[in-house]
Amino acid sequence: MDEEPERAKRWEGGYERTWEVLKEDESGSLKATVEEILYQSKRKRVIESHGQVRLGMMRHLYVVIDCSRSMEDQDLKPNRLTSTLKLMEAFVDEYFDQNPISQVGIITTKNKRAEKLTDLAVQMYCVCVCLCCFTASPGNPKKHITALMKAVDTVCVGEPSLYNSLNLAIQTLKHMPGHTSREILIILSSLTTCDPANIYELIKTLKSLKVRVSVIGLSAEVRVCTVLTRETGGSYHVILDESHFKELLMLHIKPPPASSSSECSLIRMGFPQHTIASVTDQDAKPSFSMSHLDSSSGPGLSLGGYFCPQCHATYTELPVECKVCGLTLVSAPHLARSFHHLFPLQAFIESPVENLQGDRFCQACQAELKDKSVFSCPSCHSVFCVECDLFIHESLHCCPCCIYRQTAP
Amino acid sequence: MKLNIEGLLVYFPYDYIYPEQYSYMLELKRTLDAKGHGVLEMPSGTGKTISLLSLIVAYQRAFPLEVTKLIYCSRTVPEIEKVVEELRKLMEFYTKETGESNNFLALALSSRKNLCIHPEVSSLRFGKEVDGKCHSLTASYIRAQHHSNPNLPVCRFYEEFDSVGRQVPLPAGIYNLDDLKAFGRRKGWCPYYLARYSILHANIVVYSYHYLLDPKIADLVSKELAKKSVVVFDEAHNIDNVCIDSMSVNITRRTLDRCQNNVDTLQNTIHKIKETDAAKLREEYRRLVEGLKEANVARETDIYLANPVLPDEILQEAVPGSIRTAEHFVGFMRRFLEYLKSRLRVQHVVQESAPQFLKDIFDKVCIDRKPLRFCAERLQSLLRTLEIADIADFSAVTLISNFATLVSTYSQGFTIIIEPFEDRTPTIANPVLHFSCMDPSIAIKPVFQRFQSVVITSGTLSPLDIYPRILDFRPVTMASFTMTLARTCLCPLIVGRGNDQVALSSKFETREDFAVIRNYGNLLLEMSAIVPDGIVAFFTSYVYMENIVASWYEQGILENIQRNKLIFIETQDAAETSMALEKYQEACENGRGAILLSVARGKVSEGIDFVHHYGRAVLMFGVPYVYTQSRILKARLEYLRDQFQIRENDFLTFDAMRHAAQCVGRAIRGKTDYGLMIFADKRYARADKRGKLPRWIQEHINDGSLNLTVDEAVQLSKHFLRQMAQPFRQEDQLGLSLLTLEQLESEEMLQKITQIAHQT
Repeated sequence: MDEEPERAKRWEGGYERTWEVLKEDESGSLKATVEEILYQSKRKRVIESHGQVRLGMMRHLYVVIDCSRSMEDQDLKPNRLTSTLKLMEAFVDEYFDQNPISQVGIITTKNKRAEKLTDLAVQMYCVCVCLCCFTASPGNPKKHITALMKAVDTVCVGEPSLYNSLNLAIQTLKHMPGHTSREILIILSSLTTCDPANIYELIKTLKSLKVRVSVIGLSAEVRVCTVLTRETGGSYHVILDESHFKELLMLHIKPPPASSSSECSLIRMGFPQHTIASVTDQDAKPSFSMSHLDSSSGPGLSLGGYFCPQCHATYTELPVECKVCGLTLVSAPHLARSFHHLFPLQAFIESPVENLQGDRFCQACQAELKDKSVFSCPSCHSVFCVECDLFIHESLHCCPCCIYRQTAP
Repeated sequence: MKLNIEGLLVYFPYDYIYPEQYSYMLELKRTLDAKGHGVLEMPSGTGKTISLLSLIVAYQRAFPLEVTKLIYCSRTVPEIEKVVEELRKLMEFYTKETGESNNFLALALSSRKNLCIHPEVSSLRFGKEVDGKCHSLTASYIRAQHHSNPNLPVCRFYEEFDSVGRQVPLPAGIYNLDDLKAFGRRKGWCPYYLARYSILHANIVVYSYHYLLDPKIADLVSKELAKKSVVVFDEAHNIDNVCIDSMSVNITRRTLDRCQNNVDTLQNTIHKIKETDAAKLREEYRRLVEGLKEANVARETDIYLANPVLPDEILQEAVPGSIRTAEHFVGFMRRFLEYLKSRLRVQHVVQESAPQFLKDIFDKVCIDRKPLRFCAERLQSLLRTLEIADIADFSAVTLISNFATLVSTYSQGFTIIIEPFEDRTPTIANPVLHFSCMDPSIAIKPVFQRFQSVVITSGTLSPLDIYPRILDFRPVTMASFTMTLARTCLCPLIVGRGNDQVALSSKFETREDFAVIRNYGNLLLEMSAIVPDGIVAFFTSYVYMENIVASWYEQGILENIQRNKLIFIETQDAAETSMALEKYQEACENGRGAILLSVARGKVSEGIDFVHHYGRAVLMFGVPYVYTQSRILKARLEYLRDQFQIRENDFLTFDAMRHAAQCVGRAIRGKTDYGLMIFADKRYARADKRGKLPRWIQEHINDGSLNLTVDEAVQLSKHFLRQMAQPFRQEDQLGLSLLTLEQLESEEMLQKITQIAHQT
């Protein structure tokens, strides 16, 4: 994909047989490798995401991290837990970047119990040093990240409990308003679960509450997870290696399509202007940021900030729910950032390389087109290689050639 | 879809077809064309049944005079039901495609226990009770008595069937057991007798092996089936054992005691009848003088299937004078019984051939060979004459008389072994007389001779050439089919060493070795940590399993395993085992994960399928050789060597490997399924063992996975399981292992299909 991930050193890797990867269908195509199938599905994902679907943009996501004994397995370096937490940090960052009006909470499960590491609503009121410009990350995931960093030292013992963790997540999720998308993402390393009651009953409850449960397995396919995800409409993936793990995790950053049965409602939102008052200004009155009231740290008193258009409470950062009048305060760029999910770039047309006239160079990376097929933009007809096609669709979200034509005369 | 198989139009009820199914049908058609027998091996889960049915039904429709009937033999009732369901699907497809309802009659037949609708009789629990009770309500003389004395109970369903049921044939359609029962209830007819009567004109009959192979039952049920039939034995990898079991007799003291009672009852009844109705006995005597001519006529005109218990020569002769009258016969049986009792009073093991036995019996109690041969037939006649209703009570004397007939008829192929005690309990006297059949071809010979085509098929028949040899027939086609796969969904690994390089083996010398047991435990422990849901582990015998499990318990291995998964154990008790199995499946379903410890050749290894999560890995601890010290086995091996030139070792290995293949084959039940197959014994790596595995397993064993250590196996398994957990959809299979009609007809694919069948 975009960059070849930092692979573990050869000697650090497990017992692998590299020659078997090379053994690709010498007898026709009887032994299509799993890699081939994976590649196809990767392409498919790009194509699939281009329907005009309603997306659940306001997400309430609980991430359940398995901290059982099996997390100490060293097949991910240095061990599964550290590796997972590291990826989670990146995930949380990226998640808030792409879903600014969403929330996340983290649950860990070990020793047959489940406990909350961070709560769902935390993001809105998190303590942070505010950087007063729009480009910086507004929904600051710092609290999650510190919690995750701390969790590295936890001892992994016992078995996980799917039932308990799902139950814990439900307790909070069921109070969330109906128009938001309720999700649980489970990162499961263990192959067993120790449940106090019949989990199939719980699955029914989840289904009726419209909670989507997705699972990323770290070792192998477990039946109960297959049923769980199938019933609740989530996805179930098992990692192959670290880079694949990352890829799978990043899949969950995109907002899922909202189910047609979920409620629709209009939400009142406020778009507060940021006012910067200099100390010399006589009219300026210092005020306490409302988000700092319940915290012990950080500077509380400041001159400028975001003022709620309804009640004029001050906030140092957005997005936030006004503590006084309950209005959701966001800034326009936040909404804009979710825009590409709703109006994605059209899929490029795949065609065999033989049909291509003229130069066989990719318009983006300028490399020679060597693969069997090339991809062309339906509006400007520029030709790209498969790598660039994926990059454009997954990261850029706009065709560089179209942009260039628009700006250039 | 509609297929063209070498000019034959075959309707196939699915939109997609596996390449091997097409290839299988090709071979099957060639077998039918040649009017010969065939041996076909195709992995389970690749749609063997539907391929068989589609082709043969198409053949029947195209050449109604060449093939009149399909007799499909399966092992268990659920399997029979499955076949009927597939057939129903096929027939619905026919109706849809051709637009006309076809007049095919297909039905399943099972025992009275499964078909009876009489309120009292059907509530009985055991098959024998049901049979006996049924007989006491439907026997001809009971019914005759009923006319004079209406208070005597009879079965109204049978009466109804007898009066009208025979004139009106069963309407065309597909009937499984429940359908037959429902039909019977509606009409008030006995479904069992209706089914037995209807199989004579049905196009397709689905029933158990025993109706064709067991001489006692075959004589009643199958002897009038048309010669131009195709007989299919499904899951036939154990067919030789079924044949042998159906011909063998075991006599214990208990049998003799019960037989004694039977003879006494007979004596009394004769006595009574003599006073009341002497004419009846005289009539019987007259009939016996004329001999078994009727039976002979029937056989000559080739209406009946030959009965191996009733050999040809007997039919030529009349019943000898010494047992013609009823009293003489009872006296004769008494003498024979006393002789057997004296034989069972031995202190050491005796093994002798049938001629030796006959000579001995002549010397000791002056019983000639000739009257012995008529024993079975004479007893049947007597029971009929005496109008004894409840035949179930007379099973002991029937058994003894069958034994008498068999022992005096066959001088070869049988052996008599008298053991004073069991090997495991040498102190407890429990004498057994084994009259054991060593030649499976005796029981199956009439089938091969009578029917036009006999097809033997199963998922594991390798090596194919041994079956024609031990069953003594000449097949026109022998083929083994592989499974075409879009992804390699099976992963056979041979683990030959522990992590400490100790060779793993269940062979006798190292069986008690501490290091081997520990390493086996280690293997299971490591596997339990990486394989999701269910693992099935097979041991070579119950004794071996008990030893190992006890040892694991002492070493604390069991405790460690239980942290990962629950453990269930198969025992010799059927109820306990089915309970364990149920809980095992529940644990797999709930994500707790479970291990089932069971035994090769046990109930679990044969009939139970572990689809998907119920069996993600199968471990085979050791090579499941049969218990070689058994005298019966030794005699059989000797016989095989002398008669069929099969070396002992070849047969033993063949037998062990077919059971191993059966065990590991439990895990893969289709193309979307996946599973690990772990052979934990270094002997599997040898070419002579490996070469006897079915081809579809063999081709996935590469040289790299021959002699792995536990660690290496764990690494490979981990990788395999992750690969298999990747999403796999139907589209991925299309064109490779799943074909549409267009894809099938492409030149390139037809080329490839020819390579699937592996002729031997």
